[in-house]
Amino acid sequence: MNDKIILVVDDETELLEMVKSIFMRAGFTQVLTASSGEAALKVCKERQPDLVILDVMMPGMDGFATLKELRKTSKIPVLMLTARGEAEDKFAGFENGADDYLLKPFLPKELLFRVKAILKRAYPRKERKVSFDTATVDLDKAIVQRDSESISLTAKEFQLFEKLYENAGRIVTTGALCQAICGDFWQGYESTLATHIRHLREKIEENPSKPITLVTIKGIGYRLNIKGAQR
Amino acid sequence: MNASERFFRRYIFSTVRIIVLFLAVNIILVASYFVIAYLGNMATSKFPIEDFSDHVTVTNGEFSADIQAKEMLNNADAWAMILGDDGTVVWEENLPEELPRHYSSMDIAMFSRWYLDDYPTNIAKRQDGLLVIGFPPGSVVNYYFSFKAQYIWPMLFGLAAVFCINILLMIYLFIRNARRVEKAMVPILRGIRHLSSGKPIHLEETGELAEINAGLNKAGDYLLKKDNTRADWIRGISHDIRTPLSVILGYASEIEDTSSLPEAVRNQAGIIRKHSERLKDLVADLNLTTKLEYSMQPMQKQSLDPVELARQAVSEILNDSLSELYELELSEDNPGKSISIVGDQALLSRMLANLIRNCIVHNRNGCKIQVSIGSNDTLCIFSVMDNGCGVSEAQLNALNSDEDISSTQKQTDEMEHGLGLKIVRQIVKAHQGTIHFFETSPIGLNVTVKLPIK
Repeated sequence: MNDKIILVVDDETELLEMVKSIFMRAGFTQVLTASSGEAALKVCKERQPDLVILDVMMPGMDGFATLKELRKTSKIPVLMLTARGEAEDKFAGFENGADDYLLKPFLPKELLFRVKAILKRAYPRKERKVSFDTATVDLDKAIVQRDSESISLTAKEFQLFEKLYENAGRIVTTGALCQAICGDFWQGYESTLATHIRHLREKIEENPSKPITLVTIKGIGYRLNIKGAQR
Repeated sequence: MNASERFFRRYIFSTVRIIVLFLAVNIILVASYFVIAYLGNMATSKFPIEDFSDHVTVTNGEFSADIQAKEMLNNADAWAMILGDDGTVVWEENLPEELPRHYSSMDIAMFSRWYLDDYPTNIAKRQDGLLVIGFPPGSVVNYYFSFKAQYIWPMLFGLAAVFCINILLMIYLFIRNARRVEKAMVPILRGIRHLSSGKPIHLEETGELAEINAGLNKAGDYLLKKDNTRADWIRGISHDIRTPLSVILGYASEIEDTSSLPEAVRNQAGIIRKHSERLKDLVADLNLTTKLEYSMQPMQKQSLDPVELARQAVSEILNDSLSELYELELSEDNPGKSISIVGDQALLSRMLANLIRNCIVHNRNGCKIQVSIGSNDTLCIFSVMDNGCGVSEAQLNALNSDEDISSTQKQTDEMEHGLGLKIVRQIVKAHQGTIHFFETSPIGLNVTVKLPIK
């Protein structure tokens, strides 16, 4: 992931430098900067970055106009960065095809988390394998490898695991998990979710009645514990 | 019925009462006048003619009046005569010279009801003739009324009908006028109500009250302009502060995380980062509270599951590395019962987050925080309870007295700007809900928010 090219666009030079510094420290090796919408479009054309962090308020071509122009030729992920807290701005950003929206001032770890999440979604790794103490889950093949045995995941179990994996180390609420497997009208599916969780635990936990990987957070939801993923 | 309707109704009733009172007083006054006039014998036409006649006696064909009779005449400045059967004056007292001493039956018929040569007269029949009393010209008015008997009752009835119609017409006209005033006043009163709740107004500047309407429109515009200026100022300041604060936060975090730097420098950077984060929260809260105060942000209302809403708010805080000093739990009062409310998800989530963070901020030594969701037929009840240090009774009273500015913060607290609870109140108000603060046993605070179920 660290080899991805990130383009940061902002008219404030010091902010550009600071954001660049955040990414360099986080291990990203190719961080480009541009101080105007026009310059950003030029860089996009020449270097084809993997992700653009775009400020909304810039003299000349603003962030929304730049995004609109960019979307004519490219589908690269864009995170809008803005100093205006208006809800309309947020909607305008998403309507124009932004992937995420972050309000200034922001914490460096917040920016990194969002950028990594977008990159993870936009550029899934070729081999998505997650290893636990007792089992390894192959997300591409939807199978669990355990003691040289391959156990396949059902469609629902896979959707559930993927949702938990995307948010590894964080609590995912019962509602969010039900929504992942049942769609928008998920109310009343809590007991179905509990059944799928039990089956998933039987496949990945050493002792499903005392889970250590897929833990229950009473009354709230579940959390998938992966080494190094705890934030 | 609202206040203005009540006012006008009372106004109409009181005026009808005044009219009735006015009539009653007039009837009493007129009646009193007649009673007094009768008792005081003020009407000269009521000269006691029969009594007078008794004081005029005949002895051997000679008429004579006693002293009393003369006194009665003199007091009334009147004269008297007695006419014999043939119309000749057989006795007279004070009779003016110019008057004749003999009268034909036609003369008698004429003056018996009206006047004798301008002298108003009264007559009485005696055995020995006709007694005539005359009064000074102009002292008494004599009218003679004559009706056909069959018209008397219809006339009296007609008079009563005219009187009643007049009264009813008066009341009708009055109510009509009052309604007209009410019609003109209602928009003004509505405008004043809107102004008092900070809503913009626009009244038609026409009619008799155009000047008042124009004044109110001007006041409304002025208030709106003032509010907008304030909101713009806060928005502008918060916008200008955002970019510099991002740079400060970014670099402070970087220095804090640079292990090669001396620990003292990293600690100092940590302090800068911590305070910058407080500024960041303050800017966000100021913006939100301003938007809610001036209804600048349209609510994104949708149907929500309050339990899932609480799960998300609680998980956000737990995911944000909550210190081990705190125990945060979520429970449902009626597990499995489906509840649905209509509201702005982001705002309601913020409300719960603020209430939970309030428990954390005011209990630095840690506490157990219990969030629970319950419902009855009409309300969804969110409750955030802690077993921390609680608040004083005075603070509790201030919190429950619906004072916008009150917070759970103590004078000595340094970590908060006190907008958290103000925002909670604003969000609750925007959702037509109520908020109550209780003490928990043995110690701690319980904040309960009740929102209407759709």
